[in-house]
Amino acid sequence: MKVKINEDWLATIIAFVLLLLAMVNFIKPEWVKF
Amino acid sequence: MTTSTVKQEKAGGSGTVNFLVGLVIVVVLAFLARWFKGLVYGVEDLFGLGIPGKVLEFPLWAALLGLIANPILKGIKVFDYAKPGFRTELFLKIGLVLLGAGISFKVIVTAAAGAIVQGIIMVSSVYFFSWWLGGKFGLPDTLRAVMSTAVSICGVSAAIAAAGSVLAKKEEITYVTALVIVTALPLMVIAPLIAGAMNMPEPVAGAWFGGNVDTTAAVVGAGTIYGETAQKIASIVKQTQNVLIGVVAFLLALYFTTVVEGKKEKPSAAIIWQRFPKFVLGFIIASLIFTFGWLATDPSAAIKGMKDWAFCLAFVCMGLELEVAGFKKMGWAPVIVYLIVTIFNTLLALGISWLIFGWLFPANL
Repeated sequence: MKVKINEDWLATIIAFVLLLLAMVNFIKPEWVKF
Repeated sequence: MTTSTVKQEKAGGSGTVNFLVGLVIVVVLAFLARWFKGLVYGVEDLFGLGIPGKVLEFPLWAALLGLIANPILKGIKVFDYAKPGFRTELFLKIGLVLLGAGISFKVIVTAAAGAIVQGIIMVSSVYFFSWWLGGKFGLPDTLRAVMSTAVSICGVSAAIAAAGSVLAKKEEITYVTALVIVTALPLMVIAPLIAGAMNMPEPVAGAWFGGNVDTTAAVVGAGTIYGETAQKIASIVKQTQNVLIGVVAFLLALYFTTVVEGKKEKPSAAIIWQRFPKFVLGFIIASLIFTFGWLATDPSAAIKGMKDWAFCLAFVCMGLELEVAGFKKMGWAPVIVYLIVTIFNTLLALGISWLIFGWLFPANL
């Protein structure tokens, strides 16, 4: 079965992966300071 | 094979390489935007014009750099090659979900109550005014449908959804998309200036931007320029409005198949879910995680930084994606209609947002 992920789901998945990485302190605030 | 695939094959390169090249260009421009912002942010009086540097927030720099890079990349024949990496919507949606992780669910519920009332009034009034005016100017029904949906709901994605329902021509979508960006970019800068001159409270200003500026990226940009609370309220109001895309797409499909084409079979209501912006669910879940304190540590600084980066990439892409070549083909009548409707939209949203967010549903953050 071919699973097609649209842009909405892709954006949500990427955002949650980033959230998770920030939660476990893998992404440090100083790295992404804007 | 789609037109974009053909174009990409002409430009050469595999999809992934094209995407990566485009992404690198966008990231470099985003770094430049951040640098420009840092350069002027602390300046009290820019060029002796009485403009404080902090007014020139990063959305402005990012969109401006995108606009400058746009003809340069086209001139050196890199644009089509790198285009798969110019993903305004993707970066914007990532930023919006991350924004949700910094907003209490109570705020979303409070603001959404006002946003639903505002959304229903705004979408229906602006849609029918645009449809009526387009008729007076003799625009084709398909163009009227795409334009009315774009100007009343949320620009580009609404235009695409409506185009699918009414089987609009590709050039009509390109044309309306360009119109949306051409009007949204100046509004992104002018609306916060007007709000500032009127001493508008941030929740009211946010609701105004959300109801008035046509594309979600520019709404977030205007909110960011005005303040943090304005950014949050603007995002909630716009996303609430975006949820209506599916309903409008269904009603349009119903109208065009049964009334315009005279067919007996009716479109499926499943289109409402198909067109539902699913990232809004991500935004709500992220907010719930934040509200119930499920974040094990306090990653708020990192999340805020990533959110700003995602938005900055989206604003760069917005400038890059502007395409004005279609204007000559379609003539000026649709431009006049669009501008009149935008003025109507702006004034109506101003009154409605004051009434709803200043009085009926004040959002206390």
